[in-house]
Amino acid sequence: MRSYWWKILGILLVLYSIIAGFLMPVPHMEILNETIRNLYFHVTMWFTMIILMLLSMIKSMQFLNGFDAKKDLKAEVYASTGMFIGLLGLTTGMIWAQFTWGTFWVNDPKLNGTAVTMLIYLAYFLLRNSIENEDTKARVSSIYNILAFVMMIVFIGILPRMTDSLHPGNGGNPAFGNYDLDSNMRLVFYPAVLGWIILGIWISQLRFRIKSIEINNEKH
Amino acid sequence: MLRLVKELVIKDIRLNGRERYAIYSMILYVLCTSYIAFLCFEGRIDDRSWIALFWIIVLFTAMNASLNSFKRELNQQALFYYTLVNPHAIILSKIIYNSGLLILLTLSSFLIYSIFLGSPVLAFLPFLGCLILGSAALASILTLVAAIASKTNNSAGLMAVLSMPLLFPLLLNLIKTSQLCLIESQFISVGNQILFLALLNIASVLLSYLLFPYLWRD
Repeated sequence: MRSYWWKILGILLVLYSIIAGFLMPVPHMEILNETIRNLYFHVTMWFTMIILMLLSMIKSMQFLNGFDAKKDLKAEVYASTGMFIGLLGLTTGMIWAQFTWGTFWVNDPKLNGTAVTMLIYLAYFLLRNSIENEDTKARVSSIYNILAFVMMIVFIGILPRMTDSLHPGNGGNPAFGNYDLDSNMRLVFYPAVLGWIILGIWISQLRFRIKSIEINNEKH
Repeated sequence: MLRLVKELVIKDIRLNGRERYAIYSMILYVLCTSYIAFLCFEGRIDDRSWIALFWIIVLFTAMNASLNSFKRELNQQALFYYTLVNPHAIILSKIIYNSGLLILLTLSSFLIYSIFLGSPVLAFLPFLGCLILGSAALASILTLVAAIASKTNNSAGLMAVLSMPLLFPLLLNLIKTSQLCLIESQFISVGNQILFLALLNIASVLLSYLLFPYLWRD
């Protein structure tokens, strides 16, 4: 139980959020009906993605501080896990949109923000692949990673506040402070966020270990 | 420091003044694209398309113009510069030079574009402010991306891919501001947008200032 207690906690929280998410009572609302349960899965993905991207940027900053190649590898791994989680969030969101708004894709500031985030991080991976020299690659992509995160925050944090959105809390809040979450839903939602964040970090750690073994094998 | 930046800007103006064809080619580029737009729309264009096309032309002109900003500093004479000046001065001078160049190019594109397709802009002064601030912000983001791209093998191709997603917030804001400029007396909302542009400018200059030294040191 010494160092892996948080992994067990993560599994338990995610399990709890899946079981409780499907069984606990939810408020009855028009149009949304039972699809409101998707909130536990869709919104949590975005929270997790932002946290992972933030960790990736922090690792890039640490890399620039001491030029430790491991930090750069960690930054890449966090970004790719974040990208995967982001794709899951996009898929769940598109399915939800199909059943509530009627189409898979609408012109909404938050959807545009998502599309841009995906494009930015795809460009980041492209940049990593296009430089041969390991040192240059790590340095240049760290710089781009920091720049990318700042621009992403500008896009998904500030611009939606300046325009109207189909999402709850329109034309003001990019999250949902005054959203009609009742206390029952909060009971599931917050543990779900924490659980998925833990799971994301765990996945990144595993990927980091696999990658470092691969790099080691190449050297010998 | 300030004197150094000034010297570097003057050096850039002199060096690029010798290769004047580069600027002429930009102007020719704007002429050609505007004329294609004119032929496509046969001179009758609605306001939305006018704005969208205008900013797309400006975006690609800006990308072409800043692509080769670092062809001397980071490749051929890197070691020479390395012994002479500090990186902060270099990036600041480049941003200032590129901003000046892009403001000139954007203003001339506006002129050429409105000769061919007319201009629906009613609030002229706010639009001018939006043009100037917009091209300065474009320049400051594109300068750092050009520096990043010049470290790769395929800089021209990568430049577009790397900078486009980063420029989305800026471009959306510019298009929105321009739409507001089509209606007269909307000063308060335009003011907000212009404030956002100015903040974006400051943020991107700061980021470049902080990050460029790491790119510079090899």
